Order: sequence, then C-alpha cells, then structure tokens
Amino acid sequence: MKDVTKQFGQKTAVRDVTMKIAKGSAVALLGPNGAGKTTSIAMMLGLIRPTRGVVTLFGGDPLASEQHAHIGVMLQGVSVPDRLTVVETIQLFRGFYKKPLAIDRLLTAAGLEEDARVMANRLSGGKMRRLQFALALAGNPEVLFLDEPTVGMDVTARRHFWDELRRFIASGKTLLLTTHDLQEADLVADRVIVMNKGRIIADAAPESIKMQFAGRQISFVAGVHLDLQKLTKLPDVIEIKTAGRQVTIRTNNSDGLLRTLIMEQWEISDIQVTGGGLEEAFMRLTTETEGTFV
Amino acid sequence: MNAMWSLWKAELLRTVRDRRFFTLTLGMPIIFYFVFMNQVGTHARISGTFWNAYFMVSMAAFGVVGSSVNTLAVRLATERKSGWVRFLRTTPLSSAGYTLAKILTQLSLSFFIIFVVFFVAQFSAHVTMPPMRWFEIFLWLWIGSIPFAALGVFIGMAGNAAQVLGTLVYLVLSMLGGLWTPIQALPRALQEVAQWMPTYRFAQPAWELLAERPISWVSVAILLGYAGIFSGLAAWIERKGDAHQQE
Ligand SMILES: Nc1ncnc2c1ncn2[C@@H]1O[C@H](COP(=O)(O)OP(=O)(O)OP(=O)(O)O)[C@@H](O)[C@H]1O
Ligand SMILES: [Mg+2]
Repeated sequence: MKDVTKQFGQKTAVRDVTMKIAKGSAVALLGPNGAGKTTSIAMMLGLIRPTRGVVTLFGGDPLASEQHAHIGVMLQGVSVPDRLTVVETIQLFRGFYKKPLAIDRLLTAAGLEEDARVMANRLSGGKMRRLQFALALAGNPEVLFLDEPTVGMDVTARRHFWDELRRFIASGKTLLLTTHDLQEADLVADRVIVMNKGRIIADAAPESIKMQFAGRQISFVAGVHLDLQKLTKLPDVIEIKTAGRQVTIRTNNSDGLLRTLIMEQWEISDIQVTGGGLEEAFMRLTTETEGTFV
Repeated sequence: MNAMWSLWKAELLRTVRDRRFFTLTLGMPIIFYFVFMNQVGTHARISGTFWNAYFMVSMAAFGVVGSSVNTLAVRLATERKSGWVRFLRTTPLSSAGYTLAKILTQLSLSFFIIFVVFFVAQFSAHVTMPPMRWFEIFLWLWIGSIPFAALGVFIGMAGNAAQVLGTLVYLVLSMLGGLWTPIQALPRALQEVAQWMPTYRFAQPAWELLAERPISWVSVAILLGYAGIFSGLAAWIERKGDAHQQE
C-alpha cells in the first residue's frame, strides 16, 4: 500500500497509509475499534478501491480474481449460505482452487471433524469462525489475511487455532492478521503495525515496540530512609509508581538502572524485573499518539 | 471454469433441499393446472389450439418466472446481506464466473420446471403434439427464461424489500401477462397492458407454436428489450453501489 487514503463520504477511515508486507513475514495489524484495520484489508483484497493511493497484491491489481489464487481470507461479519453442510461448504471452496488441501486436513485444522455433516449456517458462533478458517485454508494459500479470526472461539479452539497458525507460519508462508488478543499476537507475529484513527502510529518488531512503549519494570520495596523524590533523578527512568513503600519504575534500560541502584547502594530489597507486555505498549501507543514510531 | 462448476453444483444442492422451491415455485403451477383443467375441460378450443396445451405453456412460464424472479431475487438479496458475495470476491472465482454460475443454475432449474409441468400435463391431460413441436416449445421457454433471471438479479439488489417485491412482481406480471387467465378473457384495457408485459411476450411465441403459427418477432424483440433493460439496470446499480461502498 502506498500513500493510501480511503474516505467514506465525509469520514476518513484510512489516512496516508504506506505499508509493505514482505513474503514470509507474520504481521499483526493492531488498533482500537474503528482504527481502519478492516478497511485496509478490504483494499488489499480489492473489495473496495482506495480514494487515493496505490494498492498492489503480488505486484498486481488486487481486484483481479487471478490474484486471489494463492490467498486465504477470513473477513469480519460474514455468514455462510444455508442448506449446505460443513463438508459441502468446504468442498465448494476447494473447487475454487487449483491445488486445494485435503478435506480431512481442513476439517482437522478447524477442529470440525464431528460437525462435518451439520448444516453450516446452524453452527454456533465460534464454530462458524472455525469453518471460515477452514475455508481460508482451502486453497493451500501462500498468504493468509485474517480479520479478527478468534472472535467467539472458546479457549480450546483458540489454542488449537494458534497452533495451526504457527504451523502455517513455520512453513515459510505469509500472514497478516488483526486481533484484539494481544498476547497471542505477540507470540505469532514478527512484526506489529499499530493503527489509530486511520494512521499507522507504530510499525516494528514486537520486542522493540514493547521496549519503546512498555519498557521494563523494576519493582522493589524501598527502605524507610529512602527519599522517593530522589529516584526520579536517576537516569533512564520513565515513570515511577508507588504504593506505600512498594515502588515500580518503568524504564527502557533496566540493566543500566539496576546496576546504578545496586552500585550506589540504594536502600532497596525484594527486587523484581519484569517486561511490559504488548498490551501495555498498545495502551500507551493508542492513548498518547502525538509521536509516531516507525 | 472449475470454480464456476463448483458453485453451480452447490447451488443445485441448495435448491434440492429448499422446501419453498418445491411447494411454491413448482407446486403452484401444477396445482393451478389441475384446478383449471377440471374447471374448463381439457379440450376447450383457444387461440387455435386446445386448452390443455395452452395452459400447460402458461403454467410452465409461470413456474419459470417464479423461480427466476422470486426465488433468485430472495436468494441473491440474502447472499449480499450476509456478506457471502463479498467473501466470494476474495476467492479466484471471478464476478463473471459468479454470474455465469447463477445463470446456469437458473437455466437448470427452468429446465427442471418446464420438464415437470410438461410431464404432468402430458400424463394428466393427455396433451399431444409432434415430437418436434414439444422440442421447439421446450427450447423457447427454456431460453426465453433468461430475461427473467436478469429481472431477478435486479430485484435481488433491493435488500430487505426483495422478498416482498419479488413475490409482488412475480404475481402481478403473471396475472397481467395472461398466464393465469388468457388475455382473450380479460377486459380490453388489460389486454392492451398485457401486450407490453414481458410475461406475455415470453409465453406468446410458445402459444403461437402450439397453433402452428410462426413465432412473432415482435414478441422476441420486446423480450430482448426487457432483457436489456433489466440487465442494464442491474449493472448500473452494481456500479453505483461500488462507488459508494455501502455493500
Ligand atoms: N462502508 C462504510 N461506510 C461508511 N463508513 C465506514 C464503512 N466501513 C467502515 N467505515 C468507517 O471507517 C472507520 C474504520 O473502520 P474499520 O472497519 O476499518 O475499523 P477496524 O479497525 O476494522 O475496527 P474493528 O476493530 O472494530 O474491527 C470506522 O470509523 C467506520 O465507521
Ligand atoms: Mg475490523
């Protein structure tokens, strides 16, 4: 996508977005509701045309149906037709592709072996999502576009799903996914793009985003004689929280800060160092979005 | 190509399981046929042929229009609303492939409906004519059903209103086109209206064939005109919808 903007009437859903998804990468597209994730994906798939800018898929026009031979897609808010069973729906999709995966393989991937003969539109919400995962995989795609795939799935299904996805990525294929399950996004993605209000506000590896925006936390119990005010003067301190004598310092150089604390013989005990998660970085990013980090 | 056949197969499977299709779209013409044969008598003369053959054509046309206008419209509307059409657009199935699969499905259903109505008429009311005549009439009704599929596509774009609109158009067109009561039995004003109905122009050449008269090219031309209008309107709305991205 290059300098892409999409307007719906007065509303700008995506604003000057440029991104390139490299082959073999696993990208998580994150952002609060209404950030423009679904709209971005829809443009990559040729479902809608950008108002301005250029979108290409495998170097070609995403509108052309030939470009869709090697992709698999899960969209938001789609239901399958009535009066077809789960197997028949999957078979229908297998018929669209030159080298589809075996039907048993797809049923296993979706965990729908027992529901194979059930009418597809009577499936529960989570199972419907799993069926759509099977449909996305049907053509043995090189690239998967998944828009909030895990919505409605129970814990077991979710775990099964992420395992399948990891296997998919391990075979060198490409993934672009949006999700609100940040922990899992952190585990599968090697690149995180955060959008807010139609713009990209961060685009980096999950580790560096966490480093930059969640940083590390050093927490300890401060001795009675320790002047908490002095802590703020230390180098690399981003933020300090206190709860009684329990102090938590957020930093982006935990090693250095820890060394200082110990060398200077600060009166502290029970030291713990923890890494901030993607969730914390995400919260910080989307609430304080003055600066962008690319 | 394979993608298209795959969709065609699935669509037929869905219809076979559709109770509504059998009770209404196929059931109504057949029940009407029995009722009207009983009331009027099979060998009444009408427009150069016999009532049993004349009304067989009427009911085959009625059934075909029902499956194209009503069933197709409702199904398309549901598919668009549920996001299914959008989803299909992410697959290698092209929009031409999608349309073609829908047309083939419709032609298959028309074939089946005409066949069943002819079969019932032949066995219940002993309609007789030379094999060549059967073939010609069958072929005309079959091919002539395509404009109604275009009308079905157009009505299918009406969203939630498609169900009501489809039923209404189906019944009104059938009535005004003389498929229920032959237009000779209608008041003069309605006869004038009937001349302009696609349904009348659809059935009329088949009636002519029954009476050993050549097909009237006026009917063919008017029907073609309607086909152009319906598909033009559908294409126009599709394009407009695309520009507004409201789908
Ligand atoms: N068809 C449409 N017509 C008008 N506005 C739209 C349309 N589709 C999306 N929008 C608007 O564009 C903005 C971005 O929507 P989008 O669906 O891309 O968000 P998202 O990041 O996918 O959110 P979510 O996490 O809720 O799925 C929203 O403000 C939405 O209201
Ligand atoms: Mg979305």
